[in-house]
Parts: sequence; structure tokens; C-alpha cells
Amino acid sequence: MGEFKVHRVRFFNYVPSGIRCVAYNNQSNRLAVSRTDGTVEIYNLSANYFQEKFFPGHESRATEALCWAEGQRLFSAGLNGEIMEYDLQALNIKYAMDAFGGPIWSMAASPSGSQLLVGCEDGSVKLFQITPDKIQFERNFDRQKSRILSLSWHPSGTHIAAGSIDYISVFDVKSGSAVHKMIVDRQYMGVSKRKCIVWGVAFLSDGTIISVDSAGKVQFWDSATGTLVKSHLIANADVQSIAVADQEDSFVVGTAEGTVFHFQLVPVTSNSSEKQWVRTKPFQHHTHDVRTVAHSPTALISGGTDTHLVFRPLMEKVEVKNYDAALRKITFPHRCLISCSKKRQLLLFQFAHHLELWRLGSTVATGKNGDTLPLSKNADHLLHLKTKGPENIICSCISPCGSWIAYSTVSRFFLYRLNYEHDNISLKRVSKMPAFLRSALQILFSEDSTKLFVASNQGALHIVQLSGGSFKHLHAFQPQSVEAMCLLAVSPDGNWLAASGTSAGVHVYNVKQLKLHCTVPAYNFPVTAMAIAPNTNNLVIAHSDQQVFEYSIPDKQYTDWSRTVQKQGFHHLWLQRDTPITHISFHPKRPMHILLHDAYMFCIIDKSLPLPNDKTLLYNPFPPTNESDVIRRRTAHAFKISKIYKPLLFMDLLDERTLVAVERPLDDIIAQLPPPIKKKKFGT
Amino acid sequence: MVQLRPRASRAPASAEAMVDEGQLASEEEEAEHGLLLGQPSSGAAAEPLEEDEEGDDEFDDEAPEELTFASAQAEAREEERRVRETVRRDKTLLKEKRKRREELFIEQKKRKLLPDTILEKLTTASQTNQNKSYLAVRLKDQDLRDSRQQAAQAFIHNSLYGPGTNRTTVNKFLSLANKRLPVKRAAVQFLNNAWGIQKKQNAKRFKRRWMVRKMKTKK
Repeated sequence: MGEFKVHRVRFFNYVPSGIRCVAYNNQSNRLAVSRTDGTVEIYNLSANYFQEKFFPGHESRATEALCWAEGQRLFSAGLNGEIMEYDLQALNIKYAMDAFGGPIWSMAASPSGSQLLVGCEDGSVKLFQITPDKIQFERNFDRQKSRILSLSWHPSGTHIAAGSIDYISVFDVKSGSAVHKMIVDRQYMGVSKRKCIVWGVAFLSDGTIISVDSAGKVQFWDSATGTLVKSHLIANADVQSIAVADQEDSFVVGTAEGTVFHFQLVPVTSNSSEKQWVRTKPFQHHTHDVRTVAHSPTALISGGTDTHLVFRPLMEKVEVKNYDAALRKITFPHRCLISCSKKRQLLLFQFAHHLELWRLGSTVATGKNGDTLPLSKNADHLLHLKTKGPENIICSCISPCGSWIAYSTVSRFFLYRLNYEHDNISLKRVSKMPAFLRSALQILFSEDSTKLFVASNQGALHIVQLSGGSFKHLHAFQPQSVEAMCLLAVSPDGNWLAASGTSAGVHVYNVKQLKLHCTVPAYNFPVTAMAIAPNTNNLVIAHSDQQVFEYSIPDKQYTDWSRTVQKQGFHHLWLQRDTPITHISFHPKRPMHILLHDAYMFCIIDKSLPLPNDKTLLYNPFPPTNESDVIRRRTAHAFKISKIYKPLLFMDLLDERTLVAVERPLDDIIAQLPPPIKKKKFGT
Repeated sequence: MVQLRPRASRAPASAEAMVDEGQLASEEEEAEHGLLLGQPSSGAAAEPLEEDEEGDDEFDDEAPEELTFASAQAEAREEERRVRETVRRDKTLLKEKRKRREELFIEQKKRKLLPDTILEKLTTASQTNQNKSYLAVRLKDQDLRDSRQQAAQAFIHNSLYGPGTNRTTVNKFLSLANKRLPVKRAAVQFLNNAWGIQKKQNAKRFKRRWMVRKMKTKK
């Protein structure tokens, strides 16, 4: 493998935003997640929980509710008073309609999926009709005194339960009038000055309403008589979310202490037909408030202020007890937020509203394996570039020579030219960028920094020629079927450009002749990382199910090594990794090596060594030197995996003897989160 | 013994007595309105007879006015009608005045506003601004929206992190485990590196300048 000096970088101050709402769609097995900065992400649960699409956030958007309607349509509503529909094919927002009720706190789609109900700040509940291309206001229900914080439809669509402050109202949909008003106790069998906020309600088909409130209670009400049936006190803090399964035999609630409780309908005695709701399982996977939960047929999904998205498959619902039934926690992003300029040893970090440019430190000392070398020159924070406007940055890139920086938001594209004089850096913006470059999903510079490749969300792929301080639009490729969420890879000699994101497979374009060269056959799992090797021009593609393919571009077919790997199959531990591979790179002098990494390991695949089968040890620790050569040769296999640096956000080869590893310890993220609920422990 | 004259019944008798010389056509009417004409009390019932007799004898040319009931009634009705007319006229006059004033105000306001064409353009343009790079917003609406949004955010913040909630810092939360270990450890964020940032920056700059100066003098 060789010896490398590793730049261990921990100054990337990446803090993801907290999760505010999740919405699970049963037909497509997808989860929509909205965060506090306005980003909406779509996770494909059948593609190994990979984040396949996302809509960038906006400063003024404070999403409070997210729901799916019939026909795979996604709606969100927030405190800016607008209902937004997302176009999942074109990856933009279709329209934003003002509900004219003030900030919107809750939204629910009818069981038939054709109507949308919205609860507003002024206490009104508004009904909207979902038409094929828009939504239309139908009518208002009776106005209540305080803000409507939670809504739930009865499965038949005839009644609605609305939770507010200190009371719950039951409405009749046809007449729009409030049938019952149920007053919620402020404290469990006690008196309290703090108002009781009903954070969630759920309406079951037998007429029971389940409510969760800020006093830590889960209460069961009878909607026919408007009375309290049962009350459970489950926490000392707020219970903030509730989700009921489709079969209505279990539901899940999330509390502010980070605990998620599972309630199930169990028979009273083993052979009686009478059933009752019992709190069965507590799960403590979060440290902060669990603001949202969802219940899929086989798993409990929870997300909250501590930014983790947790999938807890339920053992009794899972048929095959294999690795699929394990807990999944998504903490780190599924795309690369860091780009690197190898020549000047610069790193560009992408944040939500600004970019940071750092120069790596240097050292003159040497040492042996495992030593930490002292820095002679510290890492330098060269540039802090704030974006104009309230929109989040979608993607960014720095050219390999370090003289160009490009980034894109939904409405604009920015290109900057950098000049280096001694230790100083000066920035100049290239003005009048064309409008078709905006809303880019992926930006890439060619190796010699003369060309810029931009994948826009309309599906087009633009090639821009850069020279001096100006640019010229060369060509635009329009692939047949547009699916967006593009990844780009360019070959080091500048001849080939690979673009993923269409359902037809990965397209490879000839840059010199400006035409399509070939298409890698389609695979049913999305692409997570791509790179083209120098000299051999082999395209290495990593998919979300942890498969890695190698495709030879000049030969227009898979390489022999790739065929061998597919025949034998990957090691089962390799396939069971949680996090997707986000970056692939190559060694300039060793064509047999592929360097790739995911969040918890980095691996150098040596194509010249034999492949491991399921019986060999995958995580081969460095064999001690006093072992005989025979044993070393027997245990050596192609996958050299190291878990020294984790959690990894980015890893790349700077030159032949240097690696850079950007780590983000979880404690550093937690240290910057909002305050959690106090926990009293004996002895402290 | 005085022989009392037969006392006639009130209404008809007095009416008859009073209309002896007058009209006989409206006898019945006046019989109905007898009481209206202010029938005198029983004591005075005898008076008309006496008066009549006396009037007949002594006040021949100074007879009281022959105000028949009908005429008086007609006069009263005329008066009422006249009063009603004047009131109606006054009302219409006032209405006219108000209408004219309204129109005047509308005219003045119209003169103040922009011409219709521009207003039309604005109202239609507000719906078709998605593709353009700008967004035309009414400042009044935006202010109201912002203030409502801020109030809503303040409510959420108050209910989750405000007074009465049992919150603690992240440092204390993560350090709980350290406190219960068999060998107690320090808190997770034991050092506060955020103090004196300006002082540290100044010191760094001074050190750099001092080094440069030192290099120069050495040369």
C-alpha cells in the first residue's frame, strides 16, 4: 500500500439542522424529511435508506407540517403562511399558495387523498381541494379561539380532531361546525400554571382520539360522547409527536427527553376478545427532543433536534431476521460537501449559507507508522464567502488549480476568480452568469481548470469554457429522460465526462467531440459516487446497495476485474455497511488501486490481490511483521480497510504520499445543539 | 221643591246642545269623538244647558267659534301632512348633500391614486412573477406577515425553551456520565476557549509584527 502522511482535518464545523417533520409514503416506500432550515429530503427506504433527492432550504421557510397526498404529491406548510407543493420530477417547488390564515401549524391530507386540511394561527381550520395541477380553497370550518396545533382525519373522512391549547375540538366535515370541545387537564391530576399544548392528535376508526400534550400525557378520548377514557403519564416533559400504524393496532409517540414509546393493542387476557392499549417498548436513541415520528408497516421512524434520523424495525413485523432488521441511524450527509484543490492544498467547505476556504498546514518532521507529527505551519482560514440572499447553497466546487470557485443556489449561479499573491488571496466575481446555469445540482471543473461542467435540475448538462477572467458557453447535453439528482465525473485527461441521474443509466460523453459516447447499463439502485481513473479511463461507480462496478470507457464494457467481482460477490460485511460511499479517488502512479470511503471506514481496493470470499476476515488489521510471509500472503486480499479515521466526511489523495481525511466527531456536533431536557441521575 | 230638569245623557245631549245651531250631518261622528272633544266632568254637564240658555239670551253676537269637529280634524290632518312633507324634503336634501360629498371624496381619492392601467398591471403581475428574478411584494403585507411569523416563532421557542421548561446545557447533559464513572472525570467541555478572542487575535498580530521587526534588525 505504501506509506502516507495523513492530514487529519477537524476544523470543518459542520452542524446539520434538526429534523422537524417526517412523512412516510407507503406506496413508494419513501420518506420525506423536512429540517429546520427549510430543506426537504427524500429518502428511498428500499434503496438501502439512501437520500435520493433533496430540495434546498430557504431562510424564511419554517416548515411545520409535511404530508403526502394521492398520486405521490408532496405538500408542506409553514410559519410563513404558505402551502407549497414540491415537484419530485423536476426537483423544484411547483407553487406556494398563501392560506390567508397567518402562520400554518398543522396540515393533514384526507384518507382519500383528495382534500387537504390546514390548521392556522388564527384558530381557523381551512379545507382545500386538491386539483390535478393545483390546490383550491374550499371552505373554512368554525373558527376556534386559539391556534390549531395538530390535526387528524377520521379514516372515513367524516370527522376531524383538532388539537389546540388546553382543548381538543371535534369537527364534522360536512357542516364544518365543532361537534365536541374536550378540555385537556393542564397537569396529570393536578393544577399547573403552564398552558397545556396538545402537540399531536390521532383519530382511530372506532372513534377513539389519542392526544399527546406538553404535560407528558397520552390520553384516549371517546369522540362520540366527548369524554376522557384513559390517561397515561409517560414523561416528565412534553410528548411531541404521535404516529399510528395503518392497521391501527400500534402507535408510536416521541417525547422531549429523546425517548420513543411504542404502544400496542393487546388482548386483556390471552384468549379474550377485549383489547386494550398498552405501552410496550421504550427506545432511547435520541438525546434531544423527538419532534416527529412516523410508523411504516415494519418500522418506527423518529427524528428530532439532535439531527439523527432513526429507523427502528419492529421485530414482530419483520419476516426475515437478517441485517435488514437492525437499527439504522442516519447522521452524516449522503453527498460530499467538501471539494479539494490538490495543487495548492486547499479545501472548500460548503455550509448552508456560506463557503469556507482553508489551506492545509504543513510539517517538516518525519516519523514512523502511527506517529503524530507536529505542524510547522498551521492550517489557514483563507476565505469566508457568504452567499447573497436567503436561499441555501445547493452545491459548490473549487477547481484543481485553486483559481476558480463556483457555487449555485436555486435562483443564481456564482463564479469567482481567485488570485494568489504570496500569502494573500483576492477574489473577483464573474458577473452576468447565464440564467440556465442556476439551480445546478452538481458542479465540476476539469483537471486543467479550463472547463466547467454544470448539471442543472432541468436535466441539461452544460459545458462552459473558462479562460482568463471570462467564460463562454460551449455546449449543452439534453439527456432523454430527466430524473435529476446528478453526479458528475470527469477524466483527468479531459476527454470523457460521466453523468448519472437518469433512469437509463450513467451516460458517458465525449467532451472533445461534444457527443454521447456510451451509456452504462441501468442498475436499480441509485449511484452514490463516481470517478474516472487516469490513464486507463475506467469509470468506477458505487451504488447505494454497496456494489462497486468498474466500466471501461474506451472499450464500452465492464472490465474483467469487475466481472470477476460480480461473479464472486462482495463480502457480506461489505454489503452490510450502513453508510454510502461518497467519494472515490485514484493513485496517480498505481493504476491497480482504488481509494474509496464512507462515513466509518476508508478502503483501498488493490485489484492485483485476490478477492475475499465470505469466510475470510474482511477487516484485516495490519499483520504484525513477525508473522511469516506465508500467513501474510494467505490473509491478504484486495480490500484494505482502515477504521482509524472516523467519522469521515471526506478523504482524498493529495499527491503520491499524502492523504487528507476530514473528520467530524459526533460530540462536536452535539456540543452545538440546542439545550436538552434535564435528566436527574442519582449521585450527581 | 225644585223640579230638576231632566238631565240628558252625556255625549249625545251635550253634542246635541252644542250643535243645535250647527251641522247635523256629523252628529254621529261627533258622538264618537265626544270624549275627544274634552268632555267636561259630570259637574259641568249641566253647564252647557245653562250656557246654552244663557248664550241664547245674552251673547248673541259673541257666540263662540263654530269650530266643528270635522273642520278641526281636517285642519289637524293638514298640519300633520305639512309636517311630514317638510321632514321628507329635509331628509332628501340631506341625502343629496351626503351623496354629493361622497362623490367629491371619491374624485379626490381617484386623483391621488395611479391611473387604472398601472393598477391593472400590478394586480395581474403579482401572480406571474415565478419565472422572473425579482418579486414584487407589498411592504404592508410583508410587515404583517413577518410580525406574525415572528410571533409564532416566539411562541414555539417559549413553549419549548422558555421559562417553566426543564432544560439544561449540552455540556451538563453530556457530563452526567462522567460524574458517575468509578474514576470521576472532568466535564466534556471543561475549557472555555471562547474567552478573550479579540485579545488573543491582537497578541497574535503583535507577535507576528515583532518577529518581522526582529528579522529586520538582525539583518
